[in-house]
Order: sequence, then C-alpha cells, then structure tokens
Amino acid sequence: MVIEINKLIRLIDRILKFSKNIGVFGRIISCLGLLIGPHLGAETDWAYALIENPELPKVDTADWTREEMDFFVLAGIEKRDYLPTKPATKRTLIRRAYLDLHGLPPSTSQIEAFLSDERPDAWGRLIDELLQSPRYGERWARHWLDVARYADTNGMDEDIAHPSAWRYRDYVIRSFNKDKPFDRFIVEQLAGDLLPAKDLVQKREQTVGLGFLSVGPKMLACDDPDKMRRDIVDEQMDTMGRAFLGMTIGCARCHDHKIDPISIKDYYGLAGIFMSTKTLTKYSVVAEFHEHDLTKEEHQKKWLEVRRLEGEQKKKETPKDKKDKLAEEITALKKGLPAPFRVMGVTEYPTQDVKVHLRGDYLTLGEEVPRGVPAIWTEGKKVAMPEKQSGRLELARWIASADNPLTARVIVNRLWRWHFGRGIVPTPDNFGGLGEKPTHPKLLDHLARKFVESGWSVKSMHRLMMNSATYRQSAEAELALVEYDPENKLFARWQRRRVESEVVRDSILMKANRLDLDMGGSMLVVQPNKYVNQGKLTEHSMVPRRTVYLPVYRSSGYDGQKAFDTADPAVSNGNRRTSTVAGQALYLMNSELMHASSKALADFVISKASDNRPAWMIKHVFGRDPTKDESARGITFVESYGDEKAALAAFARVLLSSNEFLYME
Amino acid sequence: MNLCSHRAGLPLSRREMLQRSGTGFGAMALQAMLAREARGEAKAPLLPGTAKRVIFLFMHGGPSTVDLFDPKPLLARDNGKPFPLKVPRITSHKSKNLLLKSPWSCAQHGESGAQVSELLPHIASMADDLCFVRSMYGSNSRHGGALLELHTGSDTFTRPSMGSWINYGLGSENENLPGFITINPSGSHGGAGAWSSAFLPAKYSGTRIGGKSGGMKVPFIDNPLQNREKQRKELDLLASFNRDHLAQRGVDSELESRIASYELAFKMQMEVPGVQDVSSEPDYIKKLYGADVDPTKSFGEQCLMARRFSEAGVRFVQLSHRYWDSHGNLKKEHEKLSKEMDKPVAGLISDLKQRGLLDETLVLWGGEFGRTPTAQGNDGRDHNPHGFTMFMAGGGIKPGTVYGSTDDYGYYAEDKPVHFHDLHATILHLMGIDHEEFTYRYAGRDFRLTDVEGKVVHEILA
Repeated sequence: MVIEINKLIRLIDRILKFSKNIGVFGRIISCLGLLIGPHLGAETDWAYALIENPELPKVDTADWTREEMDFFVLAGIEKRDYLPTKPATKRTLIRRAYLDLHGLPPSTSQIEAFLSDERPDAWGRLIDELLQSPRYGERWARHWLDVARYADTNGMDEDIAHPSAWRYRDYVIRSFNKDKPFDRFIVEQLAGDLLPAKDLVQKREQTVGLGFLSVGPKMLACDDPDKMRRDIVDEQMDTMGRAFLGMTIGCARCHDHKIDPISIKDYYGLAGIFMSTKTLTKYSVVAEFHEHDLTKEEHQKKWLEVRRLEGEQKKKETPKDKKDKLAEEITALKKGLPAPFRVMGVTEYPTQDVKVHLRGDYLTLGEEVPRGVPAIWTEGKKVAMPEKQSGRLELARWIASADNPLTARVIVNRLWRWHFGRGIVPTPDNFGGLGEKPTHPKLLDHLARKFVESGWSVKSMHRLMMNSATYRQSAEAELALVEYDPENKLFARWQRRRVESEVVRDSILMKANRLDLDMGGSMLVVQPNKYVNQGKLTEHSMVPRRTVYLPVYRSSGYDGQKAFDTADPAVSNGNRRTSTVAGQALYLMNSELMHASSKALADFVISKASDNRPAWMIKHVFGRDPTKDESARGITFVESYGDEKAALAAFARVLLSSNEFLYME
Repeated sequence: MNLCSHRAGLPLSRREMLQRSGTGFGAMALQAMLAREARGEAKAPLLPGTAKRVIFLFMHGGPSTVDLFDPKPLLARDNGKPFPLKVPRITSHKSKNLLLKSPWSCAQHGESGAQVSELLPHIASMADDLCFVRSMYGSNSRHGGALLELHTGSDTFTRPSMGSWINYGLGSENENLPGFITINPSGSHGGAGAWSSAFLPAKYSGTRIGGKSGGMKVPFIDNPLQNREKQRKELDLLASFNRDHLAQRGVDSELESRIASYELAFKMQMEVPGVQDVSSEPDYIKKLYGADVDPTKSFGEQCLMARRFSEAGVRFVQLSHRYWDSHGNLKKEHEKLSKEMDKPVAGLISDLKQRGLLDETLVLWGGEFGRTPTAQGNDGRDHNPHGFTMFMAGGGIKPGTVYGSTDDYGYYAEDKPVHFHDLHATILHLMGIDHEEFTYRYAGRDFRLTDVEGKVVHEILA
C-alpha cells in the first residue's frame, strides 16, 4: 500500500509540474484529490478521532503492573505469549533516572543514599527530588528546543545573530522547571503578545515565548520581499503543525494535501493569520527581525536620552570639550541602568485575508479565503476570527484546547519517545498518513486523557511514566524476546541506548569535576542584525557550562556535538537518530574537551585518593565498585604507561569513552 | 526524523538480522559489516553508473561567464546602449541596464570550437575534454539563496546537500575516509547548509577541512599529546573494558559496532593525514597544478589534495575558490582570480586523465550564478541567475561539447535551458541513480534532491 501511494503521489507531482503551463490539468488534479482524499482519510482517522477513555485490558499477571498504563503494555506482551523483562536493579535505575531527567549521571554519594533508602516509595521520592532540581529543566528544555528548531543565529543565506533568542531558550528551561501547564506553554509560544498581563513581569514572560515563531531559518537576502514574507509564514506554519499537531501543513501551499486532511484553502485560511503577523521589521535586503522592547518605562526613557546624547556626541560639528562633557553625562546616565529588555518575537500587522496561490505562486492568485482554522480540525465548528487582530490567539487557544484530540496525543507521545527512546507513534513529528501508526493506540489515548486531566502537567506525566513497571524493566532481556521484537515495539524491555550529544559532553565535564552549573544568559557577543563570528565557536565549546547554553550557530555547528547526532537546528525534530560512527571515536580520542577533562579528572583523583587511584576512578565514573580484575588492569596500565599523572589522564579517557559510561540502561 | 524509512517495507534491518542471528555469524563477516556500517554502507546503484566520484570546483561569488565562455558580438557592438530585452522582475541591484562589452577576447578552441577567454589559456587547451553547458539557470538572485539552490536544490528550505545525497545513495568507497569532504568552504551565504545532511542521517554530512574555524584538517584527526604507541595501549584497555561490558550483556550489535568504531577511527588517523599530504607529490605534478608557485600555489595545492582524496575513494570532494563577485573592479578582479584558478583546474583534469581516473570521476566547474551583460558602474556586473555557463569533464560526460545557449546578449538561457534541478538529475544519473526514485522519507514526505522537478540532460552524456 505504501508503495502504491508513493507511486500515485509521484504521478500527481508530475501532473502538477505540467499543470503550471496547462490550466486544464489543475481541474483534473482537484478531481484526483477528491478521489484520493476519502480513500486515504482512513489512514489518519485515528489521529483526529476524539480521545477515548479506554477500559483497562484484561491481563493474566496484573500483579506486575504498577500504574494503569502498564495494563496496556502488558496486554500487548501477553498477546504474543511473552513476558515483560525483570526489573532493573536499583543501581541501574538511579543512573537511568538521573540521565533521563537531568542529562547527568548521579554522584557516588547520591547512588549510595538511594541504595540505602529502603522505604517502599524510595523510587517515587527520587523522581520527585529530581523533578525539583533546575537540572531537570535544562535537560528537558533541550528536547523541546529540537522541536522548536532553536538557534542563536539565522543560518540560511545570511547568518545574522538572534541576539535575544537566548531569552526564549531560558524561558523554555523555566517553563519545564515550573511545570507550566502545557496548554499555557503553547498559547504563549504562538500568541504571548496578545494575552492580558497584569504587570511587566508577566508581559515579559509571555512575550518571550514568541521566540518559537521567530527563531526559524529565513532567507534574509531575498530580492523579492513578497516571496520572503510568504516563505517565512510557510516555515512558521509548518513548524507549528509539526510541533503541536504532528502534521505537515507545508504541502498544502501548492495543492490539496494528498495524504493529510488539509486543503489548499485551509492552508491559505491559516496563512491569513500569519500574514497578519509581522516577523521582520523590514523585508528588504538584508532583512531585520522584530524585537519587542519591554524595558521598564523609566529605564526606557533614560535609554532614549542616552541614545540622543550619543547621537549628538557622534556629530562632526560637536566641539571636543562638548563631546567630553557628553561622554561624562552618558556615563552618569548609564550607571546602574539595566540593559534594555529586548525580546525577539512576532507582533501584529494589519489584518488581511489571503487569496489562494495557485501552485504556491503568489503571482497567480485564486479565490480569497477568510482567515480561519481548518474546518476538518474543528469538526466543522467555526473558530471566530477577530476583525482587528490576526487571529493568532484564537488559533493558539484552539490548538491548546482539550477539544482538539491531536495536541494532547502528540505531546504525550513526544514525552514517551524521550523517555523510552521510541514513540507509541514511532514518528512523533508526523501523525499523518505517511507517518507510522501507533503500536498501542489505547495506551496513547489513556495517557492523553490523563495528561489533560492533570491540567496539562508535564511533570505529572514524568511521574506516571517513570513509576510504571514498564519503565523499570531491565535492558537485559531474554534472547527469544529480542529476536522476536528487535525494535522493542512491545516495550517489553528497557531499550539500552547511547546518551545524546549534550549528555555526552555534560557528563564528561561533570565527572571531570569541571562542570559550571551557572544558569541562563547569553554567551554571544553581537549586535542585533549583525553577522556572527564563527571563529568564536571553538572558544564557546571550551566553556565548561552545560551544552544547552552554548550558542547554536546554524551556519556552523560544533564538530564534536554534531558527530553525536545533534538535530539540525534548521528543522523541527522530535526524534533524533542515534548513529555510531568513527567521528565520535575521534572526538573522544583527540578533542581538546576530552584532553582537558581527562587531565582534570586525573588531578581530581590525585586530590581525593592516595592509593589505588584507578579503582577510585572506576567507582567515580561508573558509579559502582570495580571488580578485582578491573582494578588490577588499571594498576598495570598506569604503572606501565610512564608518568603517573599522564597515565591517570589516559585511564580517565578510557573510562569516559567507554560503553558503560556512554550508554543509558 | 523517520528512521531509515526508505526500507519501511522490510521487516528487519541488517543490524536487526545480525542481532537475531546471534552468535551464528562468522567473526570476520561481523567485523567487516560493523566497520562498513560504522562508516557508511555502500548501497547498490539502481542503474549502471559511469561516474563513481565527483569533484566539484565551486566558484563562489559568481564568475562572469559571459566574459569567460559565452562571448556575444552584439554586446561589443551595442556597448553602452540600453539592454533591449525585458529586464527580470527581480534584480539584486538597481541598474540603468546599459550593456557592457567584455574587456577580454574569446577564441575558439579544440575540435569542438568551444569559446574560451584569453584569461584561461590552460582551460582552453583542454577544450576537447570539456563539456560546456551555456544555458544554465537558477531561481535566486542573491548569493545565499543561489548557493543553497545549487548545492541542495532549494533556496527556500533547509535540504540535504547533493554530496550528502550521493553518499547516502552510494555509501563509502573507503571506510577509512569520510565520504564527502569540502575543502575551505565559505562560512557565509548558507555556511554549513551547503554541506549539511539536513534530515538525512548526520553521517552523510560533509566533513569540512579548512574554512573559517579550524586548520586544514579533518576534525579531531590527530592527537598532539600522545604518541601512537601510547594511544594504542589506551585503546586496547578501552576495548577490554568494552568487551567485558558486552559479555555481561549478551548480544548487542550496537555495542559491538561502537567497539569497532574505535578501530576504524584509529585507522582513519593513520590514513587521512597521508592522503591529505600533498608534499609527497613529485615536482612535475606540483608544477602541473601550479602548486609550486604563486599565485596558483594555494588553489593548486587544494586541487592536488582533491585528486588525492578522490583517488583514495572519497565520493564527493568540493573545493571553493573565491570571490568572483565583481560588482566593480571587474577587470582587475577577474584577471587575478582567473590566474589563480586556470592552471590548477586544467592541471587537475589532465592529471586525472593521465591516471585513467577521469572516466570515472565527474569534474564540475561553476558558480552559484553568472553575471549580467549589463554594467554596474563602468567596470562591474551584477548577479545573473538567468543564464550562465558551467562546465563538466569526465565521469561519462560527452567530451568536447558545447550545449545550449543564451540570448544574443547573454542574459537569459534561451536554447535548451538547464536548471540546477536538471544538473542534479544529470549528476545522479551519471552516478547510476534515478533521481525520481531516489527518495528519503522525512516528516511525512518522500523528499528528492530534485524535488518534483529535474530532467536528465541526455544530450551531454557520452
């Protein structure tokens, strides 16, 4: 079936290609669309259906379960005559929980405290404790930043800095840490500027969320400003669709979507909302981003004065002594004056409805479509559009409403994917006809319902998923099960996997005793709308702060980080790949980060242990006692290597590059 | 991202097969497969291809091909007069659109009678090995957009680079080397977008050598702090820890694969610097490329390096020569740039030929656009994506060919126009890949290098 559909699509693409020149084909295509549409509809019905409240399935070994969700997983396993895998040991579990929730391994003392905690709810307490730590937000924000294709520079043709994008990144971290209800999080990211605010603090917080729409990649040196505006709108709609609804909207720019239920009219109805929204302050070469100035009024006045005086100071005709006086005045004014609070984000534009662009070309226009949310999404209920506002707020509220079955399903599936390494819908960014279907549709609905009931609390979903028996399984499964289900579609075991790029770097820094836990702010030193200096990349990468705080340059990534499969910051991605390539080994063998860290770890062990240093280091890095054999090998290695410090550094490199350290299980 | 959904129809991947077959596999076969997987598995081409490798000589900035390869008598005749045809709706700069005759002369060369400027005597002498496409066109009048369109097929969205596509399709020829190397690329006008794998797996991304940040080296390829013997000792200890770890866990091909990846990295360390080192080349070869003296030394060495990488099995090698953006000072700038580029490029092609490599290596020369036949100031030309020349050699291209033409003034591709999509379709065809069948599923769509466009230019195939 899949192949058939692809052939059909290719055929249609070909016809469309010719239809540019031959008008009559356009009509044939819309007919084809009608023919295919209902047929393919069935493929995606499950995603658009109302969320059910499925009954718990009957299972034989109910005492295995810990949470209701376990019944759905267990039923699937039992149906195939297999058993779930035995629970992981406490030592394995605490490491899993730390890596999963904090993106950092636990310390020896944290491990020991947990092992000696014999209270029956020790695991639940551990999860609560981890969720309270700011390290949690830094870790889970990174997942969302992949989806939001976050970057500190534009990339594409002109790699201009996003000087205030970091506020959005910090906002995401804050939102996860505060367990901001996810529906609220959605609305702020799409329409934070349109929400009522009781004071400046709230106004700032909501407006910062708009970074989501603004940080996308754009062609900034486009000689055709109309094309540029439409391309930006298209990118925003497409990212929004993927991020919140798991659907590809972009295809409908040129033709009725052949697989997902969105027509070209739906597209331009939505586009009207975004065309009534301003992202750039100018759309001519080279374009500039819009920023909200949310400086306190009194400070804003002072800054205006500063700018005025600076202008005067720069004038040629101003005499020298006047200039000196001005400089003094400026210094005095600036003293104690907080920097302007600028926020990268979209704003309102005069409202407009858009005409259908035939074949996506704005030079050949069809009928005008009123702004609106596609009827198919709302089961025919009309979402009223305000006359004097873009309609972003109405769209955002509709996306974030419990009446919309897609949104809750998409986000709980994302959370599941980030915990378990594989989504219930294996294609988290695509719930459409070309995505894969859920392996456990009832489980998905069960979770989506729980999520909405919890008030869209992400932390409550972490508790639920991690408390489950499913989560606590060991990775060491029966061979027969692994052979039957190599991809772990049944979730009948823990999927051992390499930790992500950021976790690799942060864990190495942490074990080397180098990790700087300073939070927030920007390491970029640039002016608004100015080019970034890529020469700074190496310098940034050497700063031992958590990787989430390193500026993301779209035109040039960190070689070491890229080798470990960071997502391309130009495209929304909630399902990173995990590859194993020689470039990763080279990074661990030869990078400056690794050398500095292994040296630091050698110094650390020397300061901490006076004898059997290799054994101490094994315990410190792996979080377990070394075997006799391992200690012996360590000692032999260090003794035969030469200089002890260099030897310990080499030994540190071995441990920090090992599979035991780099895999979460 | 959808994981390898190109094989969605198959029940098991090779890796999963291996995992299922447990320990039944022969140790040698296992190692070989892991090593291949760690570096990029070669996939069988769909068609018999003529080219195995590509060397792309990218002329950043947009060389004025109306001066270099596409002379127009009317331009000389009507010098200073307004351009009589319609000017494009979109141009990058405002202009009075007065015609500017070429400061140089062109002459016919070889049996094909291809026109080549006096600025490029060495390339001219190779005319019968080259195929000039004089009717190239793109859709974007700015560097960044045009550059991305040339490299990825899209000037609107982030898409994989053609080098990534080719590596994804064909895999590596030499597991000890990256499959896609870009030497000294520009960090601006798209930057990494020009060699990025976008939604394709990261391992198909280009490896940058040189460029703004970092020396002329594969990242992390050497270790100044440690001699090889000590590093070997360290890797042996690492392998012993990793093997113990694996033994406690039974079968896991991913863990095994990672163990193998260190061995591969160790071999790469030995091989890459050697391949890259042009100093070992004999003097007569260095002379051939102009790698011995200025002003050809720098680009000559890069061309020589490209040949060495290509010869060693790197699928796609790209060089960047810049900066051809002569809005003003055309005469001086183009003379200087031509001098730097001419001999190395001709040297590369003749060297490939004498080694018998040209037949299987496609060499592509060109910029992101050409330049207008109209003037900017009195000594400059603006960007022109509407009609310009690129040339190719080897790899199954018909030698001694001049294909297509622009209008009488050299502004628009007129006869047999070739869009970047068509160029991509043709390159893939030469590599044995059908551009319409070659897809990757990402976020609900099967993407192609050529999107929904592209026609193979059969007339230029040998």
